Amino acid sequence: MNVIEVKNLTKTYGKARGISDVSFNVEQGEIFGFIGPNGAGKSTTIRTLLSLIHPTSGSATIFGKDILKDAPEIKMDIGYLPSEVFYYDNMRVKDLLKYSASFYKKDCRKRMNELAEIMELDLNRKIDDLSLGNKKKVGIVQGLLHEPKLIILDEPTSGLDPLMQHKFFELLEEENKKGATILFSSHILSEVQRLCDRVAIIKEGKIIKLEKISTLKENNYKKIHIETSTEIGKDYFAIEGVTDLVVDRHKVDFLFRGDINVVMKKIATTHIVNIAVEEPDLEEIFMHFYEKEEAY
Amino acid sequence: MNIFNREMRANRKSLIIWCVGILFIVGSGMAKYAALSNTGDSINKLMADMPSSLQALMGIGSLDLATVDGYFGLLYLYLVIMASIHAAMLGATMISKEERDKTAEFLFVKPISRTTVITAKLGASIVIVIVFNLVTLLSSIVFVDFFNTGDSVTAEVALLMGGMFMMQLLFLFLSAAVAAFVKNPKLSIPISTGILLSTFIMSVGIDLKSNLEGLKYVTPFKYYEAKNLLHDGGFDEGFVVLSLLLMVGSILTTYIFYRKRDLHI
Repeated sequence: MNVIEVKNLTKTYGKARGISDVSFNVEQGEIFGFIGPNGAGKSTTIRTLLSLIHPTSGSATIFGKDILKDAPEIKMDIGYLPSEVFYYDNMRVKDLLKYSASFYKKDCRKRMNELAEIMELDLNRKIDDLSLGNKKKVGIVQGLLHEPKLIILDEPTSGLDPLMQHKFFELLEEENKKGATILFSSHILSEVQRLCDRVAIIKEGKIIKLEKISTLKENNYKKIHIETSTEIGKDYFAIEGVTDLVVDRHKVDFLFRGDINVVMKKIATTHIVNIAVEEPDLEEIFMHFYEKEEAY
Repeated sequence: MNIFNREMRANRKSLIIWCVGILFIVGSGMAKYAALSNTGDSINKLMADMPSSLQALMGIGSLDLATVDGYFGLLYLYLVIMASIHAAMLGATMISKEERDKTAEFLFVKPISRTTVITAKLGASIVIVIVFNLVTLLSSIVFVDFFNTGDSVTAEVALLMGGMFMMQLLFLFLSAAVAAFVKNPKLSIPISTGILLSTFIMSVGIDLKSNLEGLKYVTPFKYYEAKNLLHDGGFDEGFVVLSLLLMVGSILTTYIFYRKRDLHI
């Protein structure tokens, strides 16, 4: 079952580009990554889904309900953390969290205290006095205190130190295990790689790739580094599927895509002293997609 | 109800400051009457000698400043200007502040409709305006009564405060509509207060040039003037109907445009 279904969603701001013909589904219980550089349209898509802005054309449903007509009902089960958090002046953390909880028809006090403890958040402090990272923690607690079925995060880790990021990811994984679906937007690929099952890559307002993280990595290049005992010919590894070939006397580096046996046979005929076959990280795959798109 | 309570709490301090200001203006204004009343009719002669433009600007017109209700009628103009500025700023801020302060991404992802938010915010604004008006009414009754040596004029004071209340509601709803309509939330206060100032200047212009008389329907400052309320014995039905139509139109504009609005985040 799909928790989010987006069909041909387009949002334009006059002549300026927003998003164009965006379509994707997020299945129940999955952690879905939404990646792209700044200004690609991630926040516009999310804000449209949350009916903060209205689509120019196209439609979307959340929990099978229309994002515009059924917005208040849908939002009962959504937790949202924006990229930048802003709150009301002169409020203490606990007053803000109580105010946030007052919109949901349930007692959120227990979960609120649990989350505050996990995130090491002092509930009695004034929000105005908090650092950016601590304000972000308030955002995390207020976004999760009603135990939402769908968690939408828009570049959530900015401002959090590595330790808190780790705790936050553990918290998200815990929520996911309990059944929550997560839509996670980021331009930091390692975050997406660590958490997500599937990913949509957005560029200049358009989805350019929608793939499982595992497939994305499988279908791509291997990074191969070889050190040999004898000097090697510059064209020895210039075979089909090899790119970015760099030969420096005893050292060879290249990217390979295709039947790995072909390259292994070539390697077997040389006397090697060291070899490393690495999975390229998402960053390299991502750059590959961007470069490929630009070539067209 | 939670949004209503939050708005009441958020506006508490500013309302107290405005009320203290009102008390000061009514108190100090009426204290001057004590000195003026001793001069008899000479104050009216003095005022009549002033240039007509200055008379119009000060709102003197045909008011008899030697009487307590006439003098309060003069003070009434300043109270109306203050109350209208307060109401205009309140209406514009109430609607635009979630976007201006970037709290819209907090509030509008909650399970509530925009209609509910607007209703709560307008409800809180109306209560604040009522408190403002009641403080002005009570302080006016007390101070006028204190300095009055003749017959009671409480009914006249109450009538004027009724007029001021209509002006407050008018500018409250007009400004809320402006805030819902303009795309940039930071422009809602300058535009609303600009409308207020220009309609006030227009009302002064109408007093100076009789051929501008037709414009009296355009500026709310001509709807509830002290000289008309006191001399004609009450509200002009035409202006009351016009005010109510403007209020209903503004409220509808606020709801319709705010519901369709792309929130400026």
